[in-house]
Parts: sequence; C-alpha cells; structure tokens
Amino acid sequence: MGGISEEISQNLQYMNHAITIGPLTIPQGVYTTWGIMVFLVLVSIWLTRGMEVVPKKKRQVLVETGVGTLYNMLYGILGEHGKRYIPYLLTVMIYLGVANVIGLFGFTPPTKDLNVTLGLALMSIVLVQYASIRQRGVGGWLKSFSQPVAIVTPLNVLELAIKPLSLCMRLFGNVLGAFIIMELVKIVVPVVFPLACSMYFDIFDGLLQAYVFVFLTSLYIQEAIE
Amino acid sequence: MIAIGAGIAALTGAGAGIGIGLATSKAVEGIARQPEASGKITSALILGCALAEATAIYGLVIGLMIIIML
Repeated sequence: MGGISEEISQNLQYMNHAITIGPLTIPQGVYTTWGIMVFLVLVSIWLTRGMEVVPKKKRQVLVETGVGTLYNMLYGILGEHGKRYIPYLLTVMIYLGVANVIGLFGFTPPTKDLNVTLGLALMSIVLVQYASIRQRGVGGWLKSFSQPVAIVTPLNVLELAIKPLSLCMRLFGNVLGAFIIMELVKIVVPVVFPLACSMYFDIFDGLLQAYVFVFLTSLYIQEAIE
Repeated sequence: MIAIGAGIAALTGAGAGIGIGLATSKAVEGIARQPEASGKITSALILGCALAEATAIYGLVIGLMIIIML
C-alpha cells in the first residue's frame, strides 16, 4: 500500500524529470510537447509538399480524406458561423491524439501533467468566450449570462469556472487513471495481459478522450454563437 | 481515516456504472428497433459513455488528492 502510493505521488510530481538550462527549469510536459510539435510540423510539411489540384499521389488522397472527414464532423456541430474555429479544434484534436498514445513509444504522455490539460482547457474557455463576444457584441455577451431567466445568473457565472475545470480534470483523470491501472496490472500479471489492457487504455481511451475534449469544446462554442 | 475517505470517493463509480448501463440498454433498444441506424447509435453511445465515465474519473482524482495531499 505504502509503496504504491509513494510511487503514484512520485509520478505526479511534474518537476520530476525537468531539465535545467541556466536559470530556466523546463518541466517534462513542456519538452515532450515541443517534441510532439516538431514531429507534427515535420509530418505536415512532408504530407503537404508537392500537392496537386488533381491528386496522383496516395498520401495526398489519404490526407484529404482524413482532414475532410474530421472537418465535416466538426462542421456538422458548429455550422456556417463557427467554421472559422475548426482549424484550431482540429489542431488540438491531433495534438491530443498524438499526446495520449505517445506512451506506447516509451515517452511519458504530457497530458499526465495537470498543468498541460489545465492550459488546454483555459485556451478552450477563452476561445468560447471570444466566440460569444464576436457573435453577440459585448452587451449581448453580458446579457447572455442572464439567459433564459435572470435567476440563473450565478449558475452561468459559475459555469465559467466549472466548464474548464471539468474539461481539464476529465482528460487528466483519464490519462492518469489509465497509467495507474496499467502499473497495477503490470505488478499482478507481467506478461501478455498488459498488452490487451494497453490496447484499450492507451489507444482506444486516449483517442476517445482527444475526441471528447474537442467535441465538448465545439459544443460550448456552438452554444455560444447560436 | 484517509483510506476510508478515499474509499468513499471511489463510490462515484456506482453513478457512472448506472449511467453507462442505462445508456447501453437504451442503445440496444434503439438498435433493435432500427438496425440500419446502428452506426450512428454506436458512435453516440461511445461518446455518452465517455461523458458518463467522467464522474467516475472525478472520484478517482478526488481519491488520489485525498491520499496524496493529506
């Protein structure tokens, strides 16, 4: 009991594997994110190089199909007014998708760090409020807090804090929970069985949570610009 | 005492279980009525399950915080 709780709290310390360069201390979540960014930028450059109007190469067809599917899915939620937010949402989705399955390749997922998910959730809520202000103007934005009846105003103001908190805790808790369960499973059954669990927790759940995060953000935006 | 508190926090799993069970039973009913809509129903079900699971995850986070912070 003591050993496990010790190990978990060890893993929760986000400064655990930090790199120190001069006066700067770089936490693990930050440099893993930089690595993912470099990887995604390189992959994007490779995929979009030499694009043609009528695609002959297989990779262009694949990219167009993939991006088109994801784009149409978000377009179905957000509609014509909200389509300017789709590129941001897709970027977050791809980043989270890579970040959640990166554990398979022996890295620590940056989303296991509470600060990373909190930052993403804050970005989401700022975007939602910006979308609301842009659509309704400052007056309409302030008035929207007392919709549909004036008595729910405190609840609506409270929602400003609850929405990002719930987004952040959902992502963090899922990744961390999967991590802890995998550690426990590895102690009990070291061979074969962790593989099946890893399929569920790392691949299925990781990608699902990336989708849920973006889906909820787009629902909030849709609610804000309706 | 700390372990008891963490155990109580883990009771949130019951709510998530009931929620996912209800969602699944309705989804099965829906597929039985309209087998051709099973694809859409399944994707909505998976999303709903992920959202319902979140309450259990909150319980996990609270339990961890109780164990580690106290």
